[in-house]
Amino acid sequence: MFDHDFLALFLEIFLINATITSPIYGVVFSTSKRYDYPPLVCNVGWLGLPSVLITILLVAAGALVANLFYNNLIIDNFTYFRQIFPSLSTASTIPTCLDYFKEESLNAPEFIILILLSICSMFFMILAYDLIATYSAIEPQSLCFYVIAASKRDSEFSTEAGLKYFILGAFPSGILLFGCFMIYGFTGVTNFEELAKIFTGYEITLFGAQSSGIFMGIPFIAVGFLFKITAVSFHMWAPDVYEGSPTLVTAFFSIAPKISILANMLRVFIYSFYDPTWQQLFFFCSIAFMILGALAAMAQNKVKRLLAYSSIGHVGYLPIGFSRGTIEGIQSLLIAMFIYVLMTINVSVTVLALRKNRLKYIADLGALAKTNRILAITLSITMSPYAGILLLAGFCSKFYLFFAALGCGAYSLAFVGIVTSVTSRFYYIRFVKIMYFDTPETWIIYKPMDREKLLLLAITLFSTTSFFLYPSPLFLVTHEMALSLCL
Amino acid sequence: MDLVNYLTFSMIPFFLGIWGIFPNKRNIPIMPTLIELMLPVVNLNSLVFLVHLDDMMGQLSALFALTMAAVESAIGPAILVITFRIRGTIAVELINCMKG
Repeated sequence: MFDHDFLALFLEIFLINATITSPIYGVVFSTSKRYDYPPLVCNVGWLGLPSVLITILLVAAGALVANLFYNNLIIDNFTYFRQIFPSLSTASTIPTCLDYFKEESLNAPEFIILILLSICSMFFMILAYDLIATYSAIEPQSLCFYVIAASKRDSEFSTEAGLKYFILGAFPSGILLFGCFMIYGFTGVTNFEELAKIFTGYEITLFGAQSSGIFMGIPFIAVGFLFKITAVSFHMWAPDVYEGSPTLVTAFFSIAPKISILANMLRVFIYSFYDPTWQQLFFFCSIAFMILGALAAMAQNKVKRLLAYSSIGHVGYLPIGFSRGTIEGIQSLLIAMFIYVLMTINVSVTVLALRKNRLKYIADLGALAKTNRILAITLSITMSPYAGILLLAGFCSKFYLFFAALGCGAYSLAFVGIVTSVTSRFYYIRFVKIMYFDTPETWIIYKPMDREKLLLLAITLFSTTSFFLYPSPLFLVTHEMALSLCL
Repeated sequence: MDLVNYLTFSMIPFFLGIWGIFPNKRNIPIMPTLIELMLPVVNLNSLVFLVHLDDMMGQLSALFALTMAAVESAIGPAILVITFRIRGTIAVELINCMKG
């Protein structure tokens, strides 16, 4: 019955097996007296990295289109390309961790294993084609995240971040589940395809609605998702969690889950519940998102908090793409997301590299231009596409988002977007000012970075700066993804 | 069977769970408890729908959600315990290491 299903899920099966094998290795050898109880976190990390890389190869090698397990999972072009993003971001997170573990003398091999496990559930989240499959993929991912946010057990900050993340992460799961069951109860189906058939031409307005249960279910699902991508008014946990949890966890949180949850959101809201009514929700959410991201980040003095707010602002630009549900919009969303991932990897690797004296305040970056010139140049270049300066990748991504917004008639959205991105340039420029023109009382000399971080920094910097020279591959790929989602 | 009655019965504890977070100023263990209140009630919703619709999907999903709730209720107290071990208190107003 399932002849080809397991073949289609080969890479998930592989990754789960690799994930299961590495804790066995870790547990057996880290408790062995013969080897004097070695700290195995780096070994497990170096085992985890190739398994992610092999997964990327498997994704790239086996392109097929299939509906699996009674239509609970789907593999099409959208999922196929989408899986490459989270696996690439994990592949970039793991090598940056290793140095961190060595310096902190934190022996936690389970950390790598939890990252791999959450990647498995992200894959299933992207593949999910059913409300229940979605929920049961989102939940293991969040469970892994609660644990890795609190992974530094002797730090007050980390445990507090874990606690906050748990409380404010379990809550939206309940809300999401409630929404799913409302939809299930009032339509009788949970499959996205069947839901799409039911919702075709349905008009989910409050007064014109045939069923108030459906009208209630969709906002609940939307709120659950918006909590998870730290949308404004549901974002209150994000800066605290980002600041409190260890830096590498912050780096991972701000990249990988957002891709997979947005993929799932696109699938649910563009394919199943396609309707202008809820698009209003994302419209206003996006406006609030951008304004808060720009204004709140100005008041921040701590680096990680600032990154949290700027990531809130950045994710806020993404709903522009699907607040009108056009193909150009979705394509520009996917482009923006890819570039966001690249830039966030770059910034978080930089923050991880500047770890001497626990870089906490932005003022600690003072005179970085004199102590570490190349890193200062890198940081100022990356910060500028964050704000969107001409000819860098961030500019391209925002340009296409606003272009798509204008193309579908969302003029106010484009206006707010441009105003906020101009405003947000203020605090990115402040970075540059601090690095180049401030002379601090205490000069902080940072340790040189290790090879993996340097490589990652170089790759991401190169691809963000030279993106505009040859952007067509990304455009083709994202167009194909958007088409396979919509058609 | 009266669907509205069952749904109202399950909806009241659900919104009680959402509402209960806000007035709670002193005590953290209440929060996981409230989450544990929400999840089974949502499950009850699913079971009511399953009987109402005469469809097995509701039972399956209720079982899945039950497992997830169980895992959540294992992880939450564990995080609480490590917090308590470090701070010696679990009052909500003292959870403010990080201020914007």
